[in-house]
Amino acid sequence: MLEKIRAELPELSISEVSYPERGYHLAMDAGREQILKVVGFFDKNGFYLEDLFCVDYVEYLELVYFFNNHCGLFRVKTVVRLEPDKPTAPTISDIYAIAHWYEREIHEFFGVYFENHPNLAYLFLHDGLDSYPLRKGTVKVPEEDRKLLGSGAYKESEDTFFVNLGPQHPSTHGVLRVVIKMDGEYILSAEPMLGYLHRMHEKMAENRNYAQFLPNPGRMDYLSALNFNLAYVETVEKISGIIVPERAQYIRTITCELNRISSHLLWLGAFLADLGGLTPFLYAFDDRENILDILEGVTGSRLTYSYFRFGGLFNDVDEKFADGTRAFLERMWKRLDIYDQLITKNVIFINRTKGVGILERDMVRKFGCSGPVIRGSGVPFDMRKLEPYAAYQHTDFEIPVAQNGDILDRYMIRVKEIETSLRIIGSALEKLPAGPFNAEKVPKKLKPPKGDVYHTVESPRGQLGVYLVSDGSETPHRMRWRVPSYSNLMTFPFLAQGVLIADAVAILGSLDLVIPEIDR
Amino acid sequence: MIDQIIDIIGVLNIRVAIGLANVLGLITISAMVLTWAERKVAGHMQRRIAAKEVGPFGLIQPVADVIKLLGKEMLTPADVEKPLYYLGPILIFVPVLVSFVVIPFDARLQVMDVNVGILVILAFSSLSVLSILIAGWGSNNKYSLIGSIRSVAQNIAYEIPLLLSLLAVVFMSNSLSMKEIVEAQNDVWYVFKQPIAFLIFFIACVAETNRTPFDLPEGESELVAGYHTEYSGMRFALFFLAEYTSMLIVSAVATTLFLGGYKGPVLPGVVWFLGKTYFLVFLMLWFRWTFPRVRFDQLLNFSWKILMPLSFLNLIATGALLKL
Amino acid sequence: MKLIIDIITGAYSLLAGMWVTIKAFFSPVVTVQYPRKVIDITPRFRGHIKLVSDQEDPSRMKCFVCGSCERACPSNSIKKVEGEKREGEKKKTVTSYILDFTTCSQCGLCVESCPVGAIDFSADYNPVGFRREDFCWDLVREFEKRRAAA
Repeated sequence: MLEKIRAELPELSISEVSYPERGYHLAMDAGREQILKVVGFFDKNGFYLEDLFCVDYVEYLELVYFFNNHCGLFRVKTVVRLEPDKPTAPTISDIYAIAHWYEREIHEFFGVYFENHPNLAYLFLHDGLDSYPLRKGTVKVPEEDRKLLGSGAYKESEDTFFVNLGPQHPSTHGVLRVVIKMDGEYILSAEPMLGYLHRMHEKMAENRNYAQFLPNPGRMDYLSALNFNLAYVETVEKISGIIVPERAQYIRTITCELNRISSHLLWLGAFLADLGGLTPFLYAFDDRENILDILEGVTGSRLTYSYFRFGGLFNDVDEKFADGTRAFLERMWKRLDIYDQLITKNVIFINRTKGVGILERDMVRKFGCSGPVIRGSGVPFDMRKLEPYAAYQHTDFEIPVAQNGDILDRYMIRVKEIETSLRIIGSALEKLPAGPFNAEKVPKKLKPPKGDVYHTVESPRGQLGVYLVSDGSETPHRMRWRVPSYSNLMTFPFLAQGVLIADAVAILGSLDLVIPEIDR
Repeated sequence: MIDQIIDIIGVLNIRVAIGLANVLGLITISAMVLTWAERKVAGHMQRRIAAKEVGPFGLIQPVADVIKLLGKEMLTPADVEKPLYYLGPILIFVPVLVSFVVIPFDARLQVMDVNVGILVILAFSSLSVLSILIAGWGSNNKYSLIGSIRSVAQNIAYEIPLLLSLLAVVFMSNSLSMKEIVEAQNDVWYVFKQPIAFLIFFIACVAETNRTPFDLPEGESELVAGYHTEYSGMRFALFFLAEYTSMLIVSAVATTLFLGGYKGPVLPGVVWFLGKTYFLVFLMLWFRWTFPRVRFDQLLNFSWKILMPLSFLNLIATGALLKL
Repeated sequence: MKLIIDIITGAYSLLAGMWVTIKAFFSPVVTVQYPRKVIDITPRFRGHIKLVSDQEDPSRMKCFVCGSCERACPSNSIKKVEGEKREGEKKKTVTSYILDFTTCSQCGLCVESCPVGAIDFSADYNPVGFRREDFCWDLVREFEKRRAAA
């Protein structure tokens, strides 16, 4: 692969990077004129755009593109340097569709102008802001650039009208507003509008030291808080070179898998409540209460955990945890029959979900989807197998994959993932080693060496990535969270064209979105 | 005893007046009991206790609900079409009330034994379709209009299988009068002789009353609340009452036609009648809390492509078997 | 023919679903009627923090006003820890410890950062008040209240 890149793009400066230390394989420096050629090259060779963001080093800005491959792991970091006044770059949204939204976010936070972008409007922020938030100094926003999405008035023609699938939803997605243009019963276009829950976690990371940021990841995605905690803690451990003892790795795996099951159970209840069956919601919450009780006995919290620390855990687990988990595993295997009988085999449910909302493989690559969404379309892409972290390489499991890409497949994959998680927990519990639960000699004030690192983790919704730039001081220079629901949500405007609104609600439910993590 | 009381009040008009008053009382109490029963059934199917604070077992909960609804302000939005807006709730409640006139609660307990009883019921149930349209149109709101149009399409689609399966029973009993249909089931109930007709009739009834799985017009997870979005206070209460009462009346009709009405050993006929009716009502509640919603085009497909041919074939088979 | 098989399997699946719900209908409820029946709270529950008494002399608190917890808190919930050096003692004694619970996120960084273990989580899961000021406590006074009640 490296030779191919060197052959086709000889004029760029390419350096190989040590993957275990930094989390990516190659670092490339491209100029503004060459970036389109580079992106075209990666698109032709089957790569997907993993992340696109900007870092502000005060004398210059850096646009960072991460490319990765669904078939095998090969992460490439491409950097474009821009000058700090009025930075401009060409847009790549016609090659990779997801870049449209990434570029809008970069524009409103950093002030980078993208040429030929179809609609450079505000995504998260409002138009009353004076300066670009994520820049290091105060850089004023020119008046004419404060454009909100929807500032162009919605013109209602004879047959069509606009409907808000409003920020207040009857089902638990979070606060998402989708403006739908409808013609009778059918949808012509759908546009998601975000920013209702924006809390500037990325800016908070620059103002707190590494230990003080620990409560924040759990608030980003509160349904799988332990997975987010794990991503952050492992990133900092990677950049500082802290080694975690075996027992802590196993306990991290077990608790993260328990959290995955609870997140999938909540998704199940909410998805069926969208479709109209209100009873499985209560059954799923009954099972979820068990998990929450077990995790409360260990960590002390029920929803937003901050249990992991750099080098291990906050406290050790006791026998009650192991007994409770084993009892839960036994109970859960029997309870899966109830869901099977009540939902999976139900003819009304199958008719509602089969053949609806089909996501093709090429679209999956253009958007960079991950998680059950991509596994439902036939690509076996799971970070637990591809880039094993914590104790996953010691446990034995298979990842479920389906071929059709409709809603029923995504539902079946999530149910099978619950079973997979049960198996992982069972095997990890058996192999749980004795030993210390914390690494020794972790400095109280952590000052990682200068450099950047990228680390990914499989959250219940997909691939979660953290990019950390450290400048040797106590607070991070830049922390970027690549959240899975972002790229999954952006397929919705394409999937929802021409369908009935009942189907649109079902599709939105099946993508398993949690808006707080999109809004960060 | 009942016979003597009825003989005393021999005059037809007085009898009808008393009967109507009784039926009105029965409907009001039934609707209140049904709201309580719905919450209790929902709660226990979801393994929780619902409605337990107000009174023992929550029995006074419906009273609290009625007082709350009476106390709410009956807002009239500015741009509604006033005559239609005011007419909607009334028109939706009255046909159901009148349909109760021809239902036989016991051998002598029927307000008026019209000899075309079934026709009366069918006529008034078709009137409810019109009232939904009036309510939706009068609200001057695009969501209400969409909801009411869906509801009208659904009701019209499901009236035909209802009618055809009902006709099979009429063939077998040779009469349109409700009382005579019950009397014709002296030896064996029609549900055993016409199981397919019973199933089709019951499914069509669930669709007619807009209950889950066919409750797309008032789909909560989608655009607001359908054709009764703009109503508040007592008008909304009337819509609610109308829905529960129509559940009651279609169960009553199904009992009379298929389950033998008031026939049964030992206990007085009224008890049997009410027992069978409430069993069918429980079945409807059970459906609501088990199944997800059917999508709108699948709903119409189901009626036109599956239920209607099936009921037609059933009718032809019944006619053929009776002739031979 | 296939249509008939579809109809029959469909109807059977609906009946199987109804069997699940009716079994649940007759099973006992899984909810706990909270104010009338209280469940035990786990010992590791993260309530608000409290000052821990010294093992040798239970009338004293372990805290000697180093200020690590104040610096460690990400939300600045620990407002001011003040103390004085009394006669004949080597370390300071704490006299006022203001905690603003409305911004606390129960992360545990303060508990971890204390060098002697002078603060710990309490099991108080339902503090109640009518105003925001009701949740601004002086932990020294809470400690004395607890000792007087015990």
